[in-house]
Amino acid sequence: MALTPEDVASLRRQRLISRAVAVPLSLFVAATARLRFGYRLADIARVRREIWERLDAHDGPVIWAANHLTLIDSFLVYWAIFPMSRIWEDRLIPWSTPEYTNYYRLGGPAKSAFIRALLYCCRCIPFLRGGEDAAAEAWRQNAYDKCVWLLREGGSVFVYPEAGRSRSGWFDASKPKDFLGKMALDVPSAKFLCVYLRSDDQLGTTVRPPEGSTFRVCCELIDGVLPGETTPRQISRRLFESLGRLQAQWWRDCPQPKNCAGNDVVDLKSPALVENFSDDLSDADPEWLERHLTARELSYLRARPPREFFAAFWRFFCAKEACHKALARAGVIVPRGAFRQLEVDLFRRKAVHSTTGLQLDFRFTDDDADKLHCVAVLRGGALGDEENPGDVLWEVCEVAPGESPGAFARERALEFIASCNDEIGSSSRLALSEDGGLPTVLWRGRPQDWSLSLSHAGRFAACAFMAS
Amino acid sequence: MAFMRKQATVEAIDINTITPEDAEKRIIAGVKKYATNEANFASADANTPYLGHIIGMGIESSNLADITMSIERQFLTRLTTKVPAADGSSEYTLAPGELGKLRILDGQDALAATPGLSVKMLMDLGHMTPSAPYLDKVVSFAYIMACGDGWKMADALKKMAAKAEKLAGAERADALANLKTLAAQARDYDALLADAGKLAAAKQKAYASDKAACDALTAELNVVLDKIKGQASGGDAAVVAKLRTEEAEIRTRLKMAAAKLRVSKEVAEDAGRRRPVDDGKVAAARKALQEAVAAAGTIA
Repeated sequence: MALTPEDVASLRRQRLISRAVAVPLSLFVAATARLRFGYRLADIARVRREIWERLDAHDGPVIWAANHLTLIDSFLVYWAIFPMSRIWEDRLIPWSTPEYTNYYRLGGPAKSAFIRALLYCCRCIPFLRGGEDAAAEAWRQNAYDKCVWLLREGGSVFVYPEAGRSRSGWFDASKPKDFLGKMALDVPSAKFLCVYLRSDDQLGTTVRPPEGSTFRVCCELIDGVLPGETTPRQISRRLFESLGRLQAQWWRDCPQPKNCAGNDVVDLKSPALVENFSDDLSDADPEWLERHLTARELSYLRARPPREFFAAFWRFFCAKEACHKALARAGVIVPRGAFRQLEVDLFRRKAVHSTTGLQLDFRFTDDDADKLHCVAVLRGGALGDEENPGDVLWEVCEVAPGESPGAFARERALEFIASCNDEIGSSSRLALSEDGGLPTVLWRGRPQDWSLSLSHAGRFAACAFMAS
Repeated sequence: MAFMRKQATVEAIDINTITPEDAEKRIIAGVKKYATNEANFASADANTPYLGHIIGMGIESSNLADITMSIERQFLTRLTTKVPAADGSSEYTLAPGELGKLRILDGQDALAATPGLSVKMLMDLGHMTPSAPYLDKVVSFAYIMACGDGWKMADALKKMAAKAEKLAGAERADALANLKTLAAQARDYDALLADAGKLAAAKQKAYASDKAACDALTAELNVVLDKIKGQASGGDAAVVAKLRTEEAEIRTRLKMAAAKLRVSKEVAEDAGRRRPVDDGKVAAARKALQEAVAAAGTIA
């Protein structure tokens, strides 16, 4: 579907107006960021110098692609990349595609009008992500065509490759979306400006970063289409890999642990587990259930066939414990016994922490009549599945007779880690630190960001760690 | 369907007819079947953590709700009348009424990590008359957790020292490097435990992070309210309904965040307010840390 002459005229008019107000708007963005929210940019002179060297060497269109955590990311990325001295380089000022429902009907008439005017001047093309009807499809296509037209005119467009804010706070490079690959194929002369911007205080998705945040930025300019690339997926995969690299680079300088995973094992034959269940294990004490499960989880559990009831409950429990450990690694403490602060979706294999809104992925590596073992990942890598190995390694074994389960789990964990890495060779070269209240592996005297998680229950001990 | 717990019948007693010490004894007896560390359970007192194997009773986290429910089953209270927390809300608080079953509501047991803290919880919630002499003997949640971490670090260091001693060659060199790090961490933690101000500052960080989570949720709620306002003139009814659901969800999340904030605030305050009973626990944990550091020093 081609743009109508009216669409083109409208875009030209918007470009003209935004060009006229570019200086005051840029000053407004920078002043609001610095003075209202106390934001700072770390080492920004070097970042700008390096990226502008590359941008200056490329006189074609640019597709900006960045990680997405807050509702004001576009402003922050623009502020970080674009120095005032470059404000006249009109073609490089990006057009954005904000979600219509998030920005265009906010507040009363006055506030809404102000925001619309601001977005218009900031070169925004409203985008509609929801809706499968013809009108919504036409809206999306029209917005896409506008982006392509602008790029073909030599301009710049800012699109978030994830198509939404990351609920885990982690850019998942293993799940590319084709949208930007398609755009690059339509405008082969375009390059991608990949940006990873974040403050150390940003845990997950929020409206805006915490006040007083200092942002660190990693960016690079990469080719849009390489020779031999013919499908959107090929290009998107490379783009996502690039952003994944920038993310890894960003985390190298972050004082927080990058890898945040957890595990939990449940011995389904442990006598202590059946106490609150009916004799045939097809039901349980409602009060006890309500202490562990949210209303949504309870309704899922109640919909299970009676013979699955017992195991389904402990699946919820096991997933919650694994997620609790992954969150603790990121500094998010779920109070003891507050099982309902985590809501688990066994079907989608996702869990949400209610107070932070952080979303975790989990999977059951062991799920048989004897035991359950769950691993959960908040950030740091991919969980993997039956076909793809992912970044989490785990082991479940029976506790040796007469051994203390805790000590056994710790010893086995070190042996398992050593067996996974030829360079380590022997578990004697490793140690377990309990600094900060969480088990951390020491190797050559240095704490390793492997997010070791330990669990034992009844006859079983288990460990999991991240190799990313 | 009625659920008969697979256990001996417990006769509930009016909590206000017994002393805090008796309540504590009943609470300890009630969790016996969940305890896996028999030695620690046998000598358990008001300040023995339920969880953990080194100094705790060895109860597993899968039995956390059972501890609370065991307390509920043992006592009767006058706080039995349900009062809605807000108009139209399904949540409620408890007000005085007929003597009946004790209920510990969601989140109220967050700090009840020891029998003594469970009794304190019952006092704080109004089920028991507060007893200052009893509470003087109860170590605060902040120090139970802080000392627990100290014991774990000392234990890890001791075990590592014992292991390193037997090694030779390159393995020994690596083990000694690890031992050195563990000893340094133990020394730092010992210094942290020694200074209530420093410990409070460390706990204050957790409070600040919870406060930031609350602020972020409030900002999220404001955006949803703005969206609802934006739909006021000619908005789609289905969109408004969806936004209202979103608003209710965020409000629930905010309540949970506020409860968590209260916990971290109390922990931060308690960490800076060290009492003689806390001193005793701290001294024991510090001694264990220092002994472990000394043992590690003899190997290097």
